[in-house]
Amino acid sequence: MTDITDAVRTQGLFKRFGEQVAVGGVDLMVPRGSFAGLVGPNGAGKTTTLSMVTGLLRPDAGLIHIDGADVWRDPVAVKARIGVLPEGLRLFERLSGRELLSYNGQLRGIPKAEVERRAEELLRVMDLTESADKLVVDYSTGMRKKIGLAAALLHNPKVLFLDEPFEGVDPVSANTLVEVLRRYTASGATVVFSSHVMDLVERLCDWVSVMNRGQIVAQGPLEAVRGGRSLNEAFLGLVGAPANGNGEEGLSWLGATSA
Amino acid sequence: MAGRDLGMSPDRAFPGAGNGQAGAVRVGPSIFVRLKLRLIAGNLRGDTTRLLGFIFTLIAALLVASSGFIVMAMLRLAPADIALDAGIVLFTALLVGWAIVPLLAFGLDDTLDPSRLALLPLRTGQLAAGMFASSVTGVWPIATLVITSGAIVGLAGGIGGVLVGVVAVLLQFALCVVVSRLITTSLSGVLRTRRGRDVLAISAIFVVVAAQLPNLLINRGIGGDPLAVLRGLASALRWTPPGMAAHAVADGGAVALAELAVLAVLVAVIGWLWIAALRRALVTTDASTEGASVRNSRGLLARVLPDGQLAAVATKELKYARRDPRGRVGWFAALAVTGIMAFSLNGQEGTSPSAALAIGPACIGALMISLQSCNSFGIDGRSLWMNSMAYGTARDWRTDLAGRHLAVATIAVPVLAVLSVIAGLLAGNVGWALPAVISSWGVLGVGLGVGAVTSVLMPYTVPERLNAFTGAAPGQGGIAFAGSFGAMLGTGLLMLPVTLPVLFGLSWVGVLALPYGILISWGGRRLAGNIGFTRYPEILGAISRPA
Repeated sequence: MTDITDAVRTQGLFKRFGEQVAVGGVDLMVPRGSFAGLVGPNGAGKTTTLSMVTGLLRPDAGLIHIDGADVWRDPVAVKARIGVLPEGLRLFERLSGRELLSYNGQLRGIPKAEVERRAEELLRVMDLTESADKLVVDYSTGMRKKIGLAAALLHNPKVLFLDEPFEGVDPVSANTLVEVLRRYTASGATVVFSSHVMDLVERLCDWVSVMNRGQIVAQGPLEAVRGGRSLNEAFLGLVGAPANGNGEEGLSWLGATSA
Repeated sequence: MAGRDLGMSPDRAFPGAGNGQAGAVRVGPSIFVRLKLRLIAGNLRGDTTRLLGFIFTLIAALLVASSGFIVMAMLRLAPADIALDAGIVLFTALLVGWAIVPLLAFGLDDTLDPSRLALLPLRTGQLAAGMFASSVTGVWPIATLVITSGAIVGLAGGIGGVLVGVVAVLLQFALCVVVSRLITTSLSGVLRTRRGRDVLAISAIFVVVAAQLPNLLINRGIGGDPLAVLRGLASALRWTPPGMAAHAVADGGAVALAELAVLAVLVAVIGWLWIAALRRALVTTDASTEGASVRNSRGLLARVLPDGQLAAVATKELKYARRDPRGRVGWFAALAVTGIMAFSLNGQEGTSPSAALAIGPACIGALMISLQSCNSFGIDGRSLWMNSMAYGTARDWRTDLAGRHLAVATIAVPVLAVLSVIAGLLAGNVGWALPAVISSWGVLGVGLGVGAVTSVLMPYTVPERLNAFTGAAPGQGGIAFAGSFGAMLGTGLLMLPVTLPVLFGLSWVGVLALPYGILISWGGRRLAGNIGFTRYPEILGAISRPA
């Protein structure tokens, strides 16, 4: 694959925090137009990688290109093209949902009338119209993920980065998120999201990158990565977890009838 | 599956622990004491700043305890009636302190929140005994006990007096504890909601300001004879519970015994109320915040400003000044400090009235307001990523800062005008309001310019849970201090070109304060915009620390 067909491409991405190497030379690659999943156990470096790719965290070494533009050399071009839903639902808590969308749109220089039109539509699609004038601080997790996604989509980005978009989200909201994302990728845009939930990744994604201990251990089309097994089995094999668990000998008291 | 089993039959899931009353685990108060000690120790592990903070607290508590004990004991040297009056007032002050401080510190101490313990298989009585034990464990409770027992030395007479005194001191201490427990427990539901904490965060500032009141009154000489004040206070407080406790120590006779009996009953009743409140708090779920809608108005500023980044940031900042308790506290504190300063400046005798008496307070007000901007991005905290995702040039960051300055100016410019008029009136000449307002606007401009630079060079996290004692996340107190002190110093130094000529009699130079302030604020934004653009990931990291 050549550079220009990749929506995201990193080379030798490296970040350490003190002694701990969080990301140790990651070559992430996501073809344009794909629905890509970044999977890995806790502490694998997914969030650190996504933060560096989106320009929120400065890497110690490595190159990042989005649609061929260097994230740290050409921020104007990159920032116009990407949308982000960062980890931890960091939003302006004391704005209402509607105000948050219009704030984001105005920061990006979209005319006010257009921002309001898009915001109304997004609120409706996300099923947030009733809560649009409540403060974000009073939103539930599902509502926060939805308003965060709405804010990320508002400027019609080419590439969308979502850190754990489905964590703590109820099935109804999750369904809404999935529907919106499917429509979005169908239009030719790229989605990169991190997740622990293998079933979901398997169901949604056509491209998977598996991370473990700060490295990419497998990457490619979903079928190639799972190689005939379920993604969960393939994943457990890749990150080196024992297939049957090893807790059989301990915990004998658990479920026993006497203390 | 196993998961459903665990959920449906607790008896099976926790063998021996859940078999109703008979099988309840024997848990004494000592476990809670150990839990509290473990929490204190765990908090300190591996964190030098917290360790230093704890050592500082220990030293402070030691000093407070010993000096409090000595003051109480020294009352013996005073005439008996004055000693008694002082004892009554001090006992009451201790009780009030116990009632208020834990409320402001709620959230800092996990053992104060009954909901944390709700899932443990404990009866309410056990829980009450345990929470009582854990709340008397700590440096400040021990300091209180030491101070209170000073009264035995200071007030009691004879062996009988000492015996009665010991009981009275213990009852007073118990009263402090149960009252504070009752208050935190009955309010814990409210305190766990967002709105409750918002209200509390704002009330914290009132307590800080109220603590300044006696100082001010004494400065102004309003109190008159301090002994008369003491007498008046003591006679009002004589029949309050702490008043009776203090009186009992001094009296030591039959009246004292009666007072002790009343106190004991009171402690028991409040304890019982506390247990009842605890029982309720354990089964009441968090009052979920039924968020009310906000008005969807656009505001004057949004209508006047051209559509874009500047308008977006400025209107957002104005909303935050109103909706975020930290914003409201900041503004209130700035104005309160200015008020106190203006009040005490004017209160001094012997100063001849001059324009400086109007200019001084107005400029101090401007400085205080601009100091709020020395960490402009702090309140945005982690959410600033949204701005940095949208900004691709230094110019964008400059516009962002301009929006923030515009929002501050929207509130500060009229406030400083009013302040200048008041200061002029107090100083004896309304005409002085004009130079006052011009120079205060100048100071505001300089302060904002300097603040923009400190905001990008020394950013720090402003904790979301504001309490009256800290303004920065753990470990960043030094940066916060350096930032605000640096901003204050920088503003002072940069004002010299205007203030020096005025001091030397060239008062017309004062007119230049306003254009000079505007120039400095523009320069500050320019410099800060460039720095902010090159180091925004570091700024983002510094203001997103867990607090």
